[in-house]
Amino acid sequence: MRIVSVFAVGGLALSAAACGEAPKNNEGGSNAANKYTACMVTDTGGIDDKSFNAGAWAGLQAAQKTQSNVDPKYVASAAEADYEPNLTQYVNQKCNFILAVGGLMRDATLKIAQANANQEFGIVDSKIAEVKNVYPMQFDTAQAAFLAGYLAAGYSKTGTVATYGGMKIPPVTIFMDGFVDGVAHYNKVKNKDVKVLGWNKATQNGTFAEAFTDQAKGKAISDTFVAQRADVIMPVAGGTGLGTASAAKESGKFSVIWVDSDGCESAAQYCSAFLSTVEKNISGAVEQAVVAGAKGDKLDNATGYVGTLANDGVSLAPYHEFDGKVPAELKAEVEKLKADVVSGAIKVESPNSPTK
Amino acid sequence: MSTVTVEDLAGVTVPRRFWTRERKTGAVFVALGVLAAGLFGALAPAETARFTLSEDASGAALKINGQFGAILFGIVTIGAGATLLAGVARRWTSTLLGLGILAFVLSFLCWQVAGKFMPLVDTAKGSLELALPLILGALAGVLCERSGVVNVAIEGQFLMGAFGAALVGTMAASVWIGLLSAAVGGLVIAVLLAVLAMRYLVDQVVLGIVLNLLALGLTGFLYERLMQPHADVYNQPPRMPTWRIPGLADIPVVGPVLFNTNPLVYLALILVAVISVGLARTRWGLRTRAVGEHPAAADTVGIRVKGTRYRNVLLGGLIAGAGGAFFTLVSTGSFNKNMTSGAGFIALAALIFGRWTPVGAFFAALFFGFANKLATYLSAIGSPVPSQFLNMLPYLATLIAVAGLVGRVRAPAADGKPFIKG
Repeated sequence: MRIVSVFAVGGLALSAAACGEAPKNNEGGSNAANKYTACMVTDTGGIDDKSFNAGAWAGLQAAQKTQSNVDPKYVASAAEADYEPNLTQYVNQKCNFILAVGGLMRDATLKIAQANANQEFGIVDSKIAEVKNVYPMQFDTAQAAFLAGYLAAGYSKTGTVATYGGMKIPPVTIFMDGFVDGVAHYNKVKNKDVKVLGWNKATQNGTFAEAFTDQAKGKAISDTFVAQRADVIMPVAGGTGLGTASAAKESGKFSVIWVDSDGCESAAQYCSAFLSTVEKNISGAVEQAVVAGAKGDKLDNATGYVGTLANDGVSLAPYHEFDGKVPAELKAEVEKLKADVVSGAIKVESPNSPTK
Repeated sequence: MSTVTVEDLAGVTVPRRFWTRERKTGAVFVALGVLAAGLFGALAPAETARFTLSEDASGAALKINGQFGAILFGIVTIGAGATLLAGVARRWTSTLLGLGILAFVLSFLCWQVAGKFMPLVDTAKGSLELALPLILGALAGVLCERSGVVNVAIEGQFLMGAFGAALVGTMAASVWIGLLSAAVGGLVIAVLLAVLAMRYLVDQVVLGIVLNLLALGLTGFLYERLMQPHADVYNQPPRMPTWRIPGLADIPVVGPVLFNTNPLVYLALILVAVISVGLARTRWGLRTRAVGEHPAAADTVGIRVKGTRYRNVLLGGLIAGAGGAFFTLVSTGSFNKNMTSGAGFIALAALIFGRWTPVGAFFAALFFGFANKLATYLSAIGSPVPSQFLNMLPYLATLIAVAGLVGRVRAPAADGKPFIKG
């Protein structure tokens, strides 16, 4: 079995390489005595997903810059079965703050938090009301998606816009709810009839790729939308959405509204296709929580953090290459709409909004 | 599994039972037809369903009243089922089968499309595009399995192909070098499969799964370390051009779908024909089949069993790898982690559904592509059918087709059994 042993060695070399860039420990600084270890467990997307895992990690690193006694670490989960062992590992390492990234980690986090009542946890995109030691960070993305829907409806030449999701889970469908409402608001204000394909808010039924990695399916879905006359599409589907972005860039027949983190930075090669991005400021939320914790402040676990347009937890990204193409009037209307949502004059409601 | 085939049984006198396969299918069709005419007909609004002969709403269209169409095609389904049930017109069994299914699908479509439109060119194009990697993957499977090696690693070959095409295609700035590298990527997995299965006699199914994991881990790792930080240098391959065949491309509907498309489609069509003829009519084909069915016998007449198997597995690797190029050079212009999302396993299913023949696998892949595209289309036009059910449709349809229409399929007798020269 020579070959097998060659592979075993190859595998070791690979895993050693993977460990090569493990985050350094900040031992020996002046603050070493009251070091605040912030330990993050990624979900299966990995640390470089250009989305919420990357955002949360950026938040930890930013926290280290503002508060030098913060010591960030992470471990990547290769599968959902890794969540519990990874969390437990950090409990045993006596981390000050353990951050679980993603709503899919809710059950694992609940279980470990129950077993370790004195350990402080945090979770992104979920809320765990059953225990008192988990700081929830949630985002009312419907508000920003509402602006995106209005923008899309105003920008569309064909009077048809579309959205689709990766999977039918609340952190995804909340975008779609806001988007549909934004279009409806545009129709009401302008007395127009812009149609939305791919999501029906009333019946909560729509188009889903059932995958966050399947670019070919993303392309197939957007081709179908374009055949039905859509010219602005918002994929809420992670990597699947890249199929839509590349089709948009290639055909030039439609533009894309990206989600989570500014498309012109996270998927820069498709920047020319991105009308805007519905942003979720995960790194800001994580930074805030960790800095507060490191200063010795008590985190308010009962309320937690809810990102809204008002606190810039969610936002609509700059237009970048579309800056010249979006009419100034429409830009002004979107700004006005944002102010109205912040002031509460317009309420954006979604059955998938964060639970208060 | 018993090795007696249906063909074998035909020669033996079997007491003819009333409930033959045709009659059972006929009964199911009658039931489906009643459902279609009754339920679909009742639910369909009496508005016009337009099937446009273009990629969008423009151009000429076939028009039919949705409700009328749903009932009409429902009745056609009943008719086809009744004819099968009656046991007359035995010679037309397969035609009736096809007619029954077609009419049922049309009835369903008349209900769904009523008041809306369905662009036929877009539907056909989308189906073919979704089917394309499956066709190539299934062909690779045909080559391996007909010679007696189970290939569960098509998924891994796709991934390596997609990755190789993106990486080398970008660095060489050439789509053809990209395609070649994709084939080489598939070949790498094929070499491992061949050597470990034949030289070291590792269980082929387990081996295939492990190779898939290896490909996933390797490409995922390299993607994160290499491609993601430097996408412009390593992950922006050129896209495959569209080749228009003059004359043929002007045929309505079929022309733009089949003759104004990317070279990979032409490659797939040519390979289906070549492998099909090759397996049935050439010395290589005969030897491949002999080695897959009865390696010991083939060995005694002087055919090199392992040599034949190696050659076929490696050829299959090249083809599956080229299929992987679809993901990065045709469909989209970049690689991402696990982007094949299980297509290799669907290709495997298409292979079995197509009874281990190139043409059968081709149609099975097309069928799956169509069901997939249809599901997408239906959800896009706001069908009341829940999205979970629609996304299940391709798998469900395949399952029903395999169970109901294909019947018992028989793998090559020596499939998955390593040959040890006695």
